[in-house]
Amino acid sequence: MKTIACYSNKGGVGKTATSVNLAYAFAQAGQRVLLCDLDPQGASGFYLRVKPSKKLTEARFFEDVKRFTKSIRASDFEGLDVLPANMTYRDFDVFLSRMRNKRSRLKKALVSVGGDYDVIVLDCPPNFSTLSENIFKASDLIVVPVIPSTLSERTFEQLIGFFDAHKLPKKKICAFFSMVQRRKKLHLETMETMQKQYRKRFLKTVVPFSADIERMGQYRAPVLTYAGRSVAASAYKSLFKEIKKGVGPVK
Amino acid sequence: MTGNQSAFFVVPDGLSAETLAQALDRYTVESRPRQPERAFALLDCHDQSLQQSGRLLIEAAGMLRLYDNRGDSVSQRLKGRGRFPKDFPEGPMKQALSGFPKLRALGVVGEGHISRADFLVLDELQKTQAKLHVTALSSPNERVELVQVEGLRGYDRAFSAVSSAIAGIKGAQADVAAVFPQLFPGQARYQAKPHIPLGKTEPASEAATDIISTYLGVARQNEAGVIKDIDTEYLHDYRVSLRRIRSVLSLFKGVYSEAETAGLKRVFSDLMQPTGRVRDLDVYLLEKESFFNLVPVSLNAGLEEMFDAFQKERARELNRLSRWLRGSEYEKTMRSLAARFESATDLASGPSANLGAYEYACALIWKRYRKVCKLARSITPDTPDEVVHDLRIHCKKLRYLMEFFGPLFDDKGFKTIIKPLKRLQDNLGLFNDCSVQQEALLEFVSTSSGRSGQINGQLAMAVGGLIAVLDQRQRQERDRVIANFEHFDSPKIRQLFRTLFHSAKE
Ligand SMILES: Nc1ncnc2c1ncn2[C@@H]1O[C@H](COP(=O)(O)OP(=O)(O)OP(=O)(O)O)[C@@H](O)[C@H]1O
Ligand SMILES: [Mg+2]
Repeated sequence: MKTIACYSNKGGVGKTATSVNLAYAFAQAGQRVLLCDLDPQGASGFYLRVKPSKKLTEARFFEDVKRFTKSIRASDFEGLDVLPANMTYRDFDVFLSRMRNKRSRLKKALVSVGGDYDVIVLDCPPNFSTLSENIFKASDLIVVPVIPSTLSERTFEQLIGFFDAHKLPKKKICAFFSMVQRRKKLHLETMETMQKQYRKRFLKTVVPFSADIERMGQYRAPVLTYAGRSVAASAYKSLFKEIKKGVGPVK
Repeated sequence: MTGNQSAFFVVPDGLSAETLAQALDRYTVESRPRQPERAFALLDCHDQSLQQSGRLLIEAAGMLRLYDNRGDSVSQRLKGRGRFPKDFPEGPMKQALSGFPKLRALGVVGEGHISRADFLVLDELQKTQAKLHVTALSSPNERVELVQVEGLRGYDRAFSAVSSAIAGIKGAQADVAAVFPQLFPGQARYQAKPHIPLGKTEPASEAATDIISTYLGVARQNEAGVIKDIDTEYLHDYRVSLRRIRSVLSLFKGVYSEAETAGLKRVFSDLMQPTGRVRDLDVYLLEKESFFNLVPVSLNAGLEEMFDAFQKERARELNRLSRWLRGSEYEKTMRSLAARFESATDLASGPSANLGAYEYACALIWKRYRKVCKLARSITPDTPDEVVHDLRIHCKKLRYLMEFFGPLFDDKGFKTIIKPLKRLQDNLGLFNDCSVQQEALLEFVSTSSGRSGQINGQLAMAVGGLIAVLDQRQRQERDRVIANFEHFDSPKIRQLFRTLFHSAKE
């Protein structure tokens, strides 16, 4: 099992859009995928029409394996399940460690209902600082969307600094440029400088700013399902390919 | 993902998206394109073991699909009709059918057309809450639909709501086996040993007549299967039915006049006669594998030759038997027997004809039980084999009597007696099989050598080897008889026999 976090220390950069399309692409490729919606707003659940579960707010939730496995919802896409939002940080911490432990009751319970997952995609909320370090440790890859602007350059620098300071493996970081507008000179210049400075940290794929992606809110479905031939869709496909290569074999 | 909740319902007729939407008022229903219609066959064995266990097996377009009442379905690309599930290639179907009777083949219960349509049950966000797979099945005159409600992980409440809505449709049944009677109504259930109700004061001659008439019917239900050679159990059941009739004729002494009894015995013995050789050969052929396991590999070539000869002879004999069963003489005999046994009044009665069935049964069973005990208690390691054979026959007669008259007695006491009796009978049966097989082998050698003047060496060695092993087995079985009888002869069983069958006399 591989855990992929979509993370950014900046809000509104495309984490949720990436999580949903990436999770869908993995499922389409035959992997069993669990998309964990960690955003209290339930954004990725919203895109998949899965309503947030009320029960999840209950304190004793993670003591109770049965209820946990029950709160997982099937999406309308083969192989893609969703763990809806509303998880406390503490709960999430416990959840991550149990998912990684083959012998945990949670893991066994999932296996017994045919729900062991190959890939877990985490859609992280903005300002997730409290648990950031745990996420970095628990994930095999940290996918970071970066809008090529001056402000983003600074926040990315902070992220790298955090990794250095805490001696975390920087090679887990897979950044990519998000919401890119090639007409904007600033975007092109920022991309050039950042690519030079963090050569190994950036994926080749660039996700453009696209009306097709914005429309996810209307369709409430992954871009690939309603605009499969669009530029946006091919960007997500190539992002998926690069990330799949990055995590290596998932089983 | 696997592990989804699932349930099956059988509903009478055409579920449209509209009727579904009506039943599921909280949801909307989206229908997917219907798959084209194909031919299908509903499969089961003669004694309907699948239907009885709440399962449904459908063959269509080269696929077998098995449905059960736990909501599971298994499918595999496989041909089913005429085949024995035990001979299927390893796979999910063979595994799912592992409890299927080993000697039974899958036959066609009925045929018709099948088509499948899928529906999505959606909430107000157009999110799928459950799926419906509707299989429409039609026979020439009837139509039913098999609806599978498939739940999605995390949508348990929707699953329950949809399931109860479907269950609430008029005529819906939560039993996949309901397809059988609805598509193919009027198909009698086959029972090799039907329950025959008897009254305590019913005249003994009526009881005998009821039993004979019932087993005549059972025999007839097996004729087609024998002729089509579906599996060997048809002939076996056919013979057992006739044998039961013959044992009524010989055990129920005095219910019919002496002349009547003698005449009937002759008729039924004549009916049995053409079936004997095929059954013997069936038994050898069924034992083929175990025969091969009995002798060393070096003797396999000889055995192979012997079984080839058996196989060929069986084909000839079965051909002859089928012709007899299809013939007009046979049909005439069976029809006239059925007419005669419709009521006891058409048969010349004997001195015991009007005895009450209960009183009559007690006397017969008690007498037979005493005979079994007397004989069995006399057996020592030195007693000749013939006596052991006699014991087997008496035990069999006792068992038949107890089965025929079972409905007149307390069920619990009966079961307690039958268990050790059955064990003793199994033991005696094996003893007998070993001895019959040895005789058959000797007979085979003598006829084979008769034809060619001289017997082939490999064959002779194989048969010699087999006879040696069988003889040893027979002795082992014999050695167990005394112990098994002692088990049957316990104080508790003795007491039961006395209270059940002899209390009125004391
Ligand atoms: N490539 C893109 N082109 C155009 N619009 C985009 C693109 N990616 C995301 N968006 C839109 O931008 C908004 C923010 O995107 P998204 O919710 O994916 O970001 P986020 O990082 O998850 O935000 P948050 O930090 O609030 O969780 C959404 O309305 C989304 O539709
Ligand atoms: Mg988000």
